[in-house]
Amino acid sequence: MVEKKSAADDLIGFYREREKELECLYRIEEILAQRDAPRDGVFHKVAETVPSGWQHPHLCWARITIGSNSYQLPGFVETSHALAAEILIGGKKGGEIRVCYTRRTPEADEGPFLRQEKRLLQTIADRLGAFIRHQELIEAAQERRAESPQDESAEWRVVLNLLHHTDRNLFARISEKMLNHLCWSGVVEAERLRRALIPADLELECGSDREANKPCPIQPLVITERLSDEIFRIAAAQQTSEQILAHLRKWIQDDKLGYLARVSNRNVTIAEVLGSLRRFREMSPEGTDLSPATRKGLIVSLIRRFLSRQLDFIRVAKESIEVRSFFEILERIVYPSDSHGQLGGKSAGLFLAQQIVRKWSAADPLLANVKFPRSWYITTDALLAFLRYNNLDEVMEQKYRDLGQVRREYPHVVQTFKNSRFPPEIVRGLSMILDELSGAPLIVRSSSLLEDSQSAAFSGKYKSLFLANQGSKPERLDALLDAIAEVYASTYSPDPIEYRAERGLLDFSEEMGIVIQEVVGTRVGDHFLPAFAGVAFSSNELPWSPRIRREDGLLRMVPGLGTRAVDRVSSDYPILVAPGQPGLRVNVAEEEVLYYAPKKIDAINLKTNTFETVEALDLVRKHGAELPLVHRMVSIYDGAGLRRPAGMNIDLERDDLVFTFDGLIHETTLPKQIHGLLRLLEGEIGRPVDIEFAHDGQDLYLLQCRAQSSSPASSPAPIPKDIPAENLVFTANRYVSSGCLPAITYLVYVDPLKYSSLSERDDFLAVGRAVSRLNKLLPKRQFILMGPGRWGSRGDIQLGVRVTYSDINNTAALVEIARRKGNSMPEVSFGTHFFQDLVESRICYLPLFPDESGAVFNERFLLGSPNLLPTALPEFARLADAVRVIDVGEATGGKVLQVLMNADLGEAVGLLAEPSSIEQLAEPRPDIASRVPDRFWLWRFRIAEHIASQLDPERYGVAGFYIAGSAQNATAGPASDIDIIIHFRGTPRQRADLLLWLEGWSLCLDEMNYLRTGYRSGGLLDVHLVTDEDIANKTSFAVKINAVNNPAQPLPLKKRDAQ
Amino acid sequence: MVDKSYNPFEVAQAQFDRIAAILGLDDGTKDLLRCNLREYHVSIPVKMDDGRSRVFRGFRVQHNDARGPAKGGIRFHPMETIDTVRALAMWMTWKTAVVDIPLGGGKGGVICDPHHLSMREQEQICRGWVRQLSNSMGPFQDVPAPDVMTTGQHMLWMLDEFETLRGERQPGFITGKPVGMGGSLGRKEATGYGLVFTVREALKQLGISIAETTASVQGFGNVAQHAIELYQQLSGRVTCVSCWHQADQAAYSFVKRDGVDLDQLRGIADRFGGIDKDKALALGYELLPGDAWLEQDVDLLIPAALENQITGTSAARISDRVKVIVEGANGPTTPEADEVIARRGIYLVPDLLANAGGVTCSYFEQVQSNMNFFWDRNEVLNRLDAKMTAAFDAVSSSAKARRLSLRDGAYVIAVGRVAQACKDRGWV
Repeated sequence: MVEKKSAADDLIGFYREREKELECLYRIEEILAQRDAPRDGVFHKVAETVPSGWQHPHLCWARITIGSNSYQLPGFVETSHALAAEILIGGKKGGEIRVCYTRRTPEADEGPFLRQEKRLLQTIADRLGAFIRHQELIEAAQERRAESPQDESAEWRVVLNLLHHTDRNLFARISEKMLNHLCWSGVVEAERLRRALIPADLELECGSDREANKPCPIQPLVITERLSDEIFRIAAAQQTSEQILAHLRKWIQDDKLGYLARVSNRNVTIAEVLGSLRRFREMSPEGTDLSPATRKGLIVSLIRRFLSRQLDFIRVAKESIEVRSFFEILERIVYPSDSHGQLGGKSAGLFLAQQIVRKWSAADPLLANVKFPRSWYITTDALLAFLRYNNLDEVMEQKYRDLGQVRREYPHVVQTFKNSRFPPEIVRGLSMILDELSGAPLIVRSSSLLEDSQSAAFSGKYKSLFLANQGSKPERLDALLDAIAEVYASTYSPDPIEYRAERGLLDFSEEMGIVIQEVVGTRVGDHFLPAFAGVAFSSNELPWSPRIRREDGLLRMVPGLGTRAVDRVSSDYPILVAPGQPGLRVNVAEEEVLYYAPKKIDAINLKTNTFETVEALDLVRKHGAELPLVHRMVSIYDGAGLRRPAGMNIDLERDDLVFTFDGLIHETTLPKQIHGLLRLLEGEIGRPVDIEFAHDGQDLYLLQCRAQSSSPASSPAPIPKDIPAENLVFTANRYVSSGCLPAITYLVYVDPLKYSSLSERDDFLAVGRAVSRLNKLLPKRQFILMGPGRWGSRGDIQLGVRVTYSDINNTAALVEIARRKGNSMPEVSFGTHFFQDLVESRICYLPLFPDESGAVFNERFLLGSPNLLPTALPEFARLADAVRVIDVGEATGGKVLQVLMNADLGEAVGLLAEPSSIEQLAEPRPDIASRVPDRFWLWRFRIAEHIASQLDPERYGVAGFYIAGSAQNATAGPASDIDIIIHFRGTPRQRADLLLWLEGWSLCLDEMNYLRTGYRSGGLLDVHLVTDEDIANKTSFAVKINAVNNPAQPLPLKKRDAQ
Repeated sequence: MVDKSYNPFEVAQAQFDRIAAILGLDDGTKDLLRCNLREYHVSIPVKMDDGRSRVFRGFRVQHNDARGPAKGGIRFHPMETIDTVRALAMWMTWKTAVVDIPLGGGKGGVICDPHHLSMREQEQICRGWVRQLSNSMGPFQDVPAPDVMTTGQHMLWMLDEFETLRGERQPGFITGKPVGMGGSLGRKEATGYGLVFTVREALKQLGISIAETTASVQGFGNVAQHAIELYQQLSGRVTCVSCWHQADQAAYSFVKRDGVDLDQLRGIADRFGGIDKDKALALGYELLPGDAWLEQDVDLLIPAALENQITGTSAARISDRVKVIVEGANGPTTPEADEVIARRGIYLVPDLLANAGGVTCSYFEQVQSNMNFFWDRNEVLNRLDAKMTAAFDAVSSSAKARRLSLRDGAYVIAVGRVAQACKDRGWV
């Protein structure tokens, strides 16, 4: 064990080292800045300075070798405790810088050296390389100058001359560019020259007269040598020779990259695009020679070609993706010969995440060990090539068939696909992938175009298949082809077709890309698996404690492959953590922790070549020592409690082990790392994300990243505002999650007051039994349970109905009512007694606080409606006072109960509605999910700015436009209006016109706000007109203008001359 | 309007009043024992993880310590009420008295929901609770133990804080510690074994040889498994075990006429005593509905799962062959069922006595901790046998002498012992 130092000591030590390194770097920069100093002296000084940046300067010696010369201080001895970096000069190895410790020193990141020291040495080497290159260039230039002692302009003339002789076309294009450049710079002489070249009649039609709406005829410019001379004569008079040379260089460079323009051409095949990209890589490995605009354009073209054509995606992606990011794809893509396809949604999402992480990893050490598995891609249109190759085109009409037929025929489709052959170029590509993978297990994932579309979350609709990838090459290839065929077939399986039909996406021409990923993990016995894996969401939609905020995120993880965390598996549970607050666990009581611990592991069996589920403890007992991080995943149960093992102090064979992940959560930076990752990705992508990950014991691998989706049943429901009081059953405004129960037909209400005044213990217990019976009797998921305090309470029975999960497992929602008792408001349980069961079976949970001001709790309906209990369960008739069963339709003349919950707004309602209005309300509104919450004010502020900019002050007699109130103070909520103060100086007529104009805005904005939030107020603008007199007297709202305290903010009006 | 809502303390007092009347206790003694001797209310300020401070309310009730230091658990519950704690403290006084161990009764708690607290915050609550109460507690004053939502971990934090304050090691301050950290061996077995010791004594009284008996057990948790273990060692035959099946959300009874194989069943059960239905079928067990355990043709019924399992109606289904019912769970028999059982002449060993093995072992843990010398498992279990046997004899003869049910007999002897101690000390 390393001696434990305090965190502060560590930190100080850390920064002290960084300070030394920086100091060293600065000193070297100073030395290199002395350009006139002799080279040998410079290198000596550098060699002398380098050790000062190292951890143990007194033991450290440096040597610089350039070609055959070395520079070092006399004490230098070459030892084995050495660190070296190559010095590249103009891309070729020109030397080396080496640092040696003369004595053995304590182990650090890389032998005795720190990671940062290695980087520092590389940086110094790079600087030396650049320095030498620069010196060489200067020397070469001086030599050239010495050979031909012309005037200073000679250099650009030489270039131009050379062009004239070697590349006439380029010469002409450059000359033309220079002419245009001079014209745009307003050089009259150049203008005259160009005009002289264009026939007079053309000039008339096309000049600067903007009224003409005919297209201009094309005007070919013929650049002669004489003309070129003339152009450059003018240029020489206008610009310095350095400027001209710079222009020439840039234009030549841009022109050389002309081939890259092909990338943006849609008709060019993937093969050609890749060819261009490859050429570019060879020519300029860093991509830095491009002008910023060209580079952006190229990046956007590449994104469009490979990743996505969605503007939202491109807008985000172009900020993080570089041209060189695409180099990795070059050798990793398989495509049909005439392919124009893409990589598909899943690949695009992961690719983007990778670039974002790479961009920020230098700034955040926690991102340093976030990695991405090796991946290969098959383009989306390979599916079409596959269909054509096997004459299976008719399968594309499958989606328009009757769903019953689709379902019947699907097994046949799968078999047909599996018995089909792949085009030879695809087989060749896959074969190469297998060679490169050399026997590592892999996963074949779908990556379809629709999976990319942000509004429709296709999660889990298409297949992903694990392959052990063992055996002879032909066997492995067959298995891979088989898997791909099966994933292809899943495009035509009934579930996604039904889903697409529901979402109106049937006519979209779906194409299916494939991503083949190396499975992250290690060999444990005969199995291959990661230490642990799972999914994480940047927005926590299921907070189990009021202390957990949505931005704390949600993490579901299991030992082994993540399949058990991604899907909900009956009778086994993943570990749930809010990475922002890892201390607040879902399961706290010992029996909860034991019960909800993961008990099975998904793994790939390398012996049998299959994906299988094994008993977690069996695996740990037999091969636990091989499972990385096992001591951080399990706790030891010794009858008196669960104990976290101290280090490896654990007997894997004999101890009673439980997977709690306590060590990982409390003793590693994993929660912090994942939380940071989620915050970063959400911040960069601009919306909540969900990720899949796996951990091999060393590094965290991201396997997938996409916009966080929620099923319609759990996405935020719009909350209508104009509900008649008699139709409201309850409202809630604390701890609300999102969801929508559109048609509840029965309601079981345990009256809190009547319940707590039961006198016999038996009666309390009987209420629990009655609920249990009702749970079996009432139609599944069509009733809700409402009751006092804590459902499933195991303590004082007065505090809540004593039930277990099986007594309530058919309800659609569990509602807990917290009524005030004297001065204290009882706490609600958050369903913690069986929270995880509620999550896995998607039962909504909602607490109500009827005694809080503003809360609606319709006791007239709940207590006044006929009670079915005595007829439904005569043996419990004596409890009819406390337990009420309401048939909603019967009690309301055919209405249903809707429960609409919106976590964005923190509001929920239960209301009685006609069944016909269900669909309309249940319709998910995609814009709500994508909206960044609590920015209501910003939207209002921008709107006000926009209105002001559109308001014509002369037409309406307006002298000033101000914004005040919540939109200005950034406190606006979803229902807030926009307070506007207008300084008015016009006539009564203008006043009427102005108010009418604003009224139009107000109504329109109200509608927009309703679509965004569900709030409707009849007009969003609150307009106050004030006059000069008001301002002088400081009456009414005029007091806000120029006020000392919190003044209204003036916004610019429409510019008068901008008409 | 009179508040007639259910108050656990009042229920406990009413029960005491009935026993006091049987015993003919004087008013002073009654008055003393109806209420607790001491009651502490403390505030525990805690710095939360987010930097804010929160104050938690805690209690400790010492109902009676005439016979020895108060003993009882600490509960963490968000809706804890002082009346619940008072009722439980009184129950502890009777429980320690019935097995005649030199301890009194106490209970404590903190109003908090561990579901909304990190482990660090819970540790602060534990330590804060001890700091506030350390002067009124100690190995010879009042000894806490784990209870609802508290575990061995919480006990170790509390012990550590206590020992730090006292400046010395006093492992006897708390029980429920892990073995090796002052815990006692035999703890897992104690309740189940204790139950079978009373069975053995009951059968002896009835003149039945245990080797000729069969039993049906409800539950397959820790208590049930150890009860079956010892009962089989004594040559009894268990023919039916009933338990909860998680996946089916239903209970099943597993029947094997020639006796269940405990090790086999343990091998196919999960940690919570849920037996794998399919594997059991494959092993030749007959599968019956969950409540079939009650109707088995056996000599002995052991309800060791939940409360209120034998009711007025279901008691009618009990086989004529059944001679003894032993209450392994707390309150498995309702008062109506009690009447039916008494009418039918079935011998019922009440929970107060039958499951007292647990508290007896806690006492042993405390004794061993105080002398810092730990017994081997056999010694613990032998001493347990002696204590349980003596307790059974005392209860049984008391009941016989007063023509009471064993349940009332147990209460009478417990209350009587405490009242006598108070009298002897000159308190009343």
